[in-house]
Amino acid sequence: MTKGEIAQTKEAYVGEYASGKSEVAINRALWLFETGIRPVILVDLDLVEPFYTLRPLKKELEARGIKVLAWETLNTIGLGETGNLLQPVVRWALRREGAVVIDVGYGVAGIEKLRLLERPAFERESLKIYVVINIARPMTGDVEAVVDYVRALGAVHGLINNSHWGDDTEPAIIHEGAQVVTKAAKILGLPVIWTTVDQKWQKEIGSYDVCGNPVFFLKRYMPRAFW
Amino acid sequence: MSMPAVELEAKTQRKQAKPIEGVKKVFMTGNESVAWAALAAGAEIMYGYPITPQNEIMHYWTRLAPRYGKQFLQTEDEISAGFTTCGGVLAGKRAFTATAGPGNILMQESMSMAEMLRLPTVVIVQQRGGPSTATVIYSQQETTLTCFGGNGEGLRIVYSSSSHQDLFDYTIKAFNTAWKYRFPTFVLGDGYQAKMRESLHIYDPAAKGIKMEKTVPFVGQEGMPGVDRAPAHLRNTFNTEEELLEVITGYVAEYQKIAPEIIEYEVIETADAEIVLVAHGIVARAAWAAVRALRNKGVRAGFFRPITLRPFPAEQLRKAARTAKKLLVAESAQGQLLKLVQEALYGETVPIATYLMPGQGITAEELSDYVMELRSNKTNREGGSR
Amino acid sequence: MTVVPNMPKAWRIETKPHKFCPGCGHGLVLKALGEAIDELGVQERVVFGCDIGCSLLSWDFFNADTVQTHHGRTTPVMTGIKRARPDRICIAYMGDGGGYAIGAQHLVNAATRNEKITVILANNCNYAMTGGQMAPTTLPEMKTETTPYGRDVEETGYPTQGPEMVAAITGETAYSARGTVANLRQLKNYLKKALQNQIEERGFSFVEALSACPTNWSTNAKDTWHFLEETMPKYFKIGEVKVPVKEAKESNTSQGNHTKQ
Repeated sequence: MTKGEIAQTKEAYVGEYASGKSEVAINRALWLFETGIRPVILVDLDLVEPFYTLRPLKKELEARGIKVLAWETLNTIGLGETGNLLQPVVRWALRREGAVVIDVGYGVAGIEKLRLLERPAFERESLKIYVVINIARPMTGDVEAVVDYVRALGAVHGLINNSHWGDDTEPAIIHEGAQVVTKAAKILGLPVIWTTVDQKWQKEIGSYDVCGNPVFFLKRYMPRAFW
Repeated sequence: MSMPAVELEAKTQRKQAKPIEGVKKVFMTGNESVAWAALAAGAEIMYGYPITPQNEIMHYWTRLAPRYGKQFLQTEDEISAGFTTCGGVLAGKRAFTATAGPGNILMQESMSMAEMLRLPTVVIVQQRGGPSTATVIYSQQETTLTCFGGNGEGLRIVYSSSSHQDLFDYTIKAFNTAWKYRFPTFVLGDGYQAKMRESLHIYDPAAKGIKMEKTVPFVGQEGMPGVDRAPAHLRNTFNTEEELLEVITGYVAEYQKIAPEIIEYEVIETADAEIVLVAHGIVARAAWAAVRALRNKGVRAGFFRPITLRPFPAEQLRKAARTAKKLLVAESAQGQLLKLVQEALYGETVPIATYLMPGQGITAEELSDYVMELRSNKTNREGGSR
Repeated sequence: MTVVPNMPKAWRIETKPHKFCPGCGHGLVLKALGEAIDELGVQERVVFGCDIGCSLLSWDFFNADTVQTHHGRTTPVMTGIKRARPDRICIAYMGDGGGYAIGAQHLVNAATRNEKITVILANNCNYAMTGGQMAPTTLPEMKTETTPYGRDVEETGYPTQGPEMVAAITGETAYSARGTVANLRQLKNYLKKALQNQIEERGFSFVEALSACPTNWSTNAKDTWHFLEETMPKYFKIGEVKVPVKEAKESNTSQGNHTKQ
């Protein structure tokens, strides 16, 4: 992509429940911001748990310069219940200038939530959809399962290996994930965009994973998001 | 949408396959752990009704059920979910349901019937704020309800989980406990555990040498009733006080007899303790972390965690209490665990301080700070309370 | 320059903009209801009850006394208030779960007893607030969180026909109708007739409103309206199912009970 194209990139991170979409989306948004792109917009399209994901981090991320389209804690008091709610501003995310990074929540039809966004008037910009996969989750635990899962999503543009065991992670699961996702990607005819890894593994995991895919090191923000 | 023959064959083969082979380290949410545990335990049918925060148990069950030949029914409400679960066990199947908050209240009627008929029902409860609709998020305010919520003597078995590993282990165990001892069995979790993500080991029970208790139908056994076999005549109603007294006394005796086989708890470093933190469920994790931090500061803190709330490890708590100078009961409720503790300790003189936060989470820092505060307030006042 | 939107007088301006999702049908049903209340001049007498689910977001919606109840229990709470204070205009507002699942027994009994309350039900074919599970009104083959492979009518039956059921079991002085947010004028008229039935102390009144839920249908604007206007009416017939006999006689038309084919 040219610098101009990256500045207008529209990306959606989809994947199974708890696969790591939010963490990847936040880090990606911050990375884009650090390259000098303005504006960078992070969009919370997690509808089932809008109050557990990006909301608690909104103020912090906005202080760093990212525009966050998500509910504010203050506006959620008096709602009566935390639940399935689409914040109106989110619908127009794709009509905005700048780099837009969308965190798409789960559900049987998770990826279909993208249809709730109003598309740009002219399709000069295409929305790139990346599937975040953690093979430590049984539904996407092996090559066959990953292929089945991604096929059911329809048209997507790349896979991301985000395999880990949370605080209990060891390099073995990251490597295994790389192998499984790369193999699945080959079958699907899709690129592996990155292997995403907690930055604490920087020494053990270099710039490329065991299959030669680029590594994107993540700073963990999500532990602060949940209560 | 028809499936190519090859795919259909593969999917049918998966039906015969076990949901989990051996032992596998995974990363998932608490609700998912429950769904996978039920599958691993050989549960055959789930009945349920949507209520936050346990919905993903149903979502994952309905996605996985067809692959393994399991069944599901979404009922019209929780009253029905409880009674259909009773139906499922009456039919001899490993049946279960899951609920929270107001749904838990609605299940009390069916669970009372299960208590009286001695049905091996399994219910997973993910506590949310109370009373009424309150919050969909978290609390430990359904302790009393889950332990004693019916119009009887609370002859139930309740496991309080504090991690995803617990949720997995005890959901499997719940089926065995229920079918072996025939008391309605509950796994008490909460909304934080339900939604939190952490790693755990999921497994095929056989891989760990766990043998699943056989299930036997209460109704629908083979043969002509009255000819080949006696008909099952199940009732939960009696004519006279004497009859009822006899039945209940019998149940109570049996419950007390089996209690030692079922009771589980954790007790750590209470022998020299100046203060013993008592907590259950996810608060026990914070309590344990607080105890370690306090010990590092040179404070002789101890830890007691009841795992079974019913039957309550009373003997074991008394033993720990006798060597302690003080107890601190911490819970995300206004005294529901405290009540169980006080009942167990009747006659003991150890002062009991409390840290009660109905509907709110409790951190290790809060607890260790509070213990330091208690130590510095050298008042004559018995116990300190929050 | 601030443009103050044209809101029904019964609406509480301090709680606007409301919290419903963009494209949600609730806002439209409540607009029709607000206008009906205004045109009938009964705002002062209204007691409004809402259920659990998305309907609960209307707990501070009107300048009218409101009670948010438990799931499915709005009908009995409003019944209780009406019996104790017959001068109040009691409106029970709920979704498909609150009326046809957990609240079904209350709906059936209030209808059978011909309680002089008005029940308004927003039908969007799913349990939205909790994340889109199957509802009694979910359409055949429709995918939801608890029917990930599509609703199998062999296993779970067909979508509930609420107004028809109510019509079959109520007395002659009840009113039962199905409107749609795709035709607000008609919906408002049905709501007015329903409230009129209570104001004139005739009997039970029930209005189901076909409503949109793009958030859980995962539909853009065009597809949302298509589902609402083309698909749903295939399973839910729009129109008055039952008008009170007195009115039928008075209006001199061949209205009255009609059974769904």
